Amino acid sequence: MLRRVIYRHVNFCRISFCKIIVAASVSLLCVSSFADTSYEQLLADEQNGDDWLSYSGGYRSERFSPLAQISPANVADMKVMWAYQMQPTGISGAGLQESTPLVANGIMYLTESPSSVTALDARTGNLLWHWRPEISNEVLNIGFPRINRGVALLDESVYVATLDARLFALDAGTGAVRWETKVAENSVGFSLTLAPLALDGKIVVGVSGAEAGVRGYIDAYDSATGERLWRTFTVPEPGEPGSETWQGDAWQTGGGSTWLTGSFDAELNTLYWTTGNPAPDWNGDVRPGDNLFTCSVLALDPDTGEMRWYFQYTPHDTHDWDANQIPVLIDAEFEGEQRKMLALANRNAFYYLIDRESGEFLLGEPYSYQTWAEGIDDTGRPIVLPNSEPTREGNLVWPSLQGATNWFSPSYNPRTQQFFVPNRRMGAIFYKADAEYTPGAPFLGGGEQALDGDNATGAIVALDAMTGLQQWEFELLTPPWSGVMATAGGLVFASSNEGIFFALDARTGNPVWNFNSGAHIRTNPMGFAVDDKQRVAIIGGQTLFVFGVE
Amino acid sequence: MAKVISLSIVLASLVLSFSAYAQTNDTSLANISQSDLEAGQGRYRVLCARCHGMLGEGGEGPSLKRARLIHAPNDEALFSVISNGIPGTGMPANWALGPSDLVQIAGYVKSLGQLEAEEIPGDAIRGRLVYETKGNCSACHIVSGIGRGVGPELTEVGMRRNIAYLRESVTNPSADQPRVSDRRKGTLNSFLTVRAVSEYGVYEGMRINEDEFSVQMRDIAGDIYSFEKSKLISYEKNFGHSLMPGYGVTLSEVEIDDLVSYLMNLKGEN
Repeated sequence: MLRRVIYRHVNFCRISFCKIIVAASVSLLCVSSFADTSYEQLLADEQNGDDWLSYSGGYRSERFSPLAQISPANVADMKVMWAYQMQPTGISGAGLQESTPLVANGIMYLTESPSSVTALDARTGNLLWHWRPEISNEVLNIGFPRINRGVALLDESVYVATLDARLFALDAGTGAVRWETKVAENSVGFSLTLAPLALDGKIVVGVSGAEAGVRGYIDAYDSATGERLWRTFTVPEPGEPGSETWQGDAWQTGGGSTWLTGSFDAELNTLYWTTGNPAPDWNGDVRPGDNLFTCSVLALDPDTGEMRWYFQYTPHDTHDWDANQIPVLIDAEFEGEQRKMLALANRNAFYYLIDRESGEFLLGEPYSYQTWAEGIDDTGRPIVLPNSEPTREGNLVWPSLQGATNWFSPSYNPRTQQFFVPNRRMGAIFYKADAEYTPGAPFLGGGEQALDGDNATGAIVALDAMTGLQQWEFELLTPPWSGVMATAGGLVFASSNEGIFFALDARTGNPVWNFNSGAHIRTNPMGFAVDDKQRVAIIGGQTLFVFGVE
Repeated sequence: MAKVISLSIVLASLVLSFSAYAQTNDTSLANISQSDLEAGQGRYRVLCARCHGMLGEGGEGPSLKRARLIHAPNDEALFSVISNGIPGTGMPANWALGPSDLVQIAGYVKSLGQLEAEEIPGDAIRGRLVYETKGNCSACHIVSGIGRGVGPELTEVGMRRNIAYLRESVTNPSADQPRVSDRRKGTLNSFLTVRAVSEYGVYEGMRINEDEFSVQMRDIAGDIYSFEKSKLISYEKNFGHSLMPGYGVTLSEVEIDDLVSYLMNLKGEN
């Protein structure tokens, strides 16, 4: 079944996705949209600037737009082309928007807090359909807001993971439900906020819930039926590899949630997925050991879920420094040798390069002020400084629990080998407290008092991806909560807490354009094209803005 | 996952805090144990003492040695204030508190209300005269709708500050400045003195708002300015400097006592 949007009176349609139909009653209709996204299209997403088919703009998670119409030379003329106002749900606590819109064949798909899906005409912003699941006001979201980060597209379906831990397949043309499946039990603290990742015939999701003491896992589902194909736990049970890093029953409530979308290398047939903090967060006394495979990146066989290798960034984390940041896949020459690498700017303030074929540690450089580690040793293990742990009285450490960066996306320009990171510069007083596990309740073991407000700042930072050394920075007034996108036009799009969406010259970091959205921006920019015209999109508050130069 | 969490940011905070609060619904503070009170005191010192004082005597935040707290007249409201903060004030949310943490802190805060309140020196009636005449305070402050809104409104200042804080504010206003909790930015200095130099002159005032590209300020005359940072010759934030003059020399000790007494009696009634 092929569904389509047919535009009448269209002046121009790109041949790549337009077909001319001659019908008896209607002549020369331009079919500009098919609600169909093939795996082959997903494989080529990075090279296709017209669409944005997956959360990070391609399996390599570069969040890089190959479009170059908008550049430092003309970005001053960039204006709002259209806007879309999101729809209130009546669910208490909902309303913060962290979705990255996707665009496929002229249709934009985005989620609205907490778990709704909207399809828009990417040319005009007009609503095509809106789907809203039944979500109880009593849904548990322990340790994070009632948000959603976006959908996945595959074939004729749109996939969305919901706050109450279900996974839905919707018809891409109408929003009708094709199937739904329960991924996890929300009543004990599991939840889903991430954009799923679509592979060939599979939908991969991860779970939130370490603040409730869940035992995390990654799941793959049959994209056609919703049947679960495999589940890989991130905390091993006794006897499994890695179980020697736990004691007693701590593994059962060990955390290691998997709440951010991973990356995929089709050539190596390997899925890369990151994991979060061990539980309880700030009291490590009850879980001695390295607590594998928390705060790590896992290399998985996408067909079986089997773990090929892992790399743990922060062993025995006690600061809530999840490794749930975007793993960016880079092919380049590193120290004279061509490598397939995985780059990640970690919440713990270090930038890492890993060989993604073997898991070998290559590089670990601080990209932000930190006071907890002397550095990273040759094996990739942090050299932890004394007196950097949470205490009963409180201990001041940089970065804060929100980290030197967080879930919001970095961007990598493969042409210049620049890695752009939104950087939070804030310390916090970490304290430790007793932790008692109760299903469905916070399991934290402490907390923090952030040195926020005028004591904290932020920046957009450009790193040399091969050395981790800073090239430039653009200072922000406060620690950001939004991602970046670089373009082939030589721009870096970014946002601030103050609601400003802006463009920087990628060579220098100098600001060349800005727009006040009027509300907190807490999501990632993305790019696409309609009628061969480059567009850039961001959500500020409850409004999606789409920009262009005419 | 702290994620996302950890997020969290203040909303996150609200959500988790609410969850934590929900867990405490069945817990009565009336039967709180001594060990919980002691644990609550420890947490209080970490989380609360910076603004409310080590002994609950207040400071930048109000004294908690009151039998009835204005924003927390009952246990339920007290849980909510500790968890969710008070928007628009300096009271932040505390999202990372578990149910037992919340009960312990709330129990300790409630116990402070059973302590003896501090005695206010001076004469409030004479203090009002100082405020209106020699101090000329209404040139910059509003009380019950009267005055000019350059500095902070003082209509309820007696509910929010303690004696020592107000005395210091009168004699040495630069020593500390009020903060306000902003969901997006954290706890900000809300009367920060800023100085902008442009080709048209030098401007000094109190920051009203600021982003990466612009700043808005109000000067001592009450005029509002907006500057594009890229067009300024210089822009400075003067932490620890208030535009309010100190009255330690202008007023006598008795007059200062009287003025503080008047301010402490400003509790929102007309």
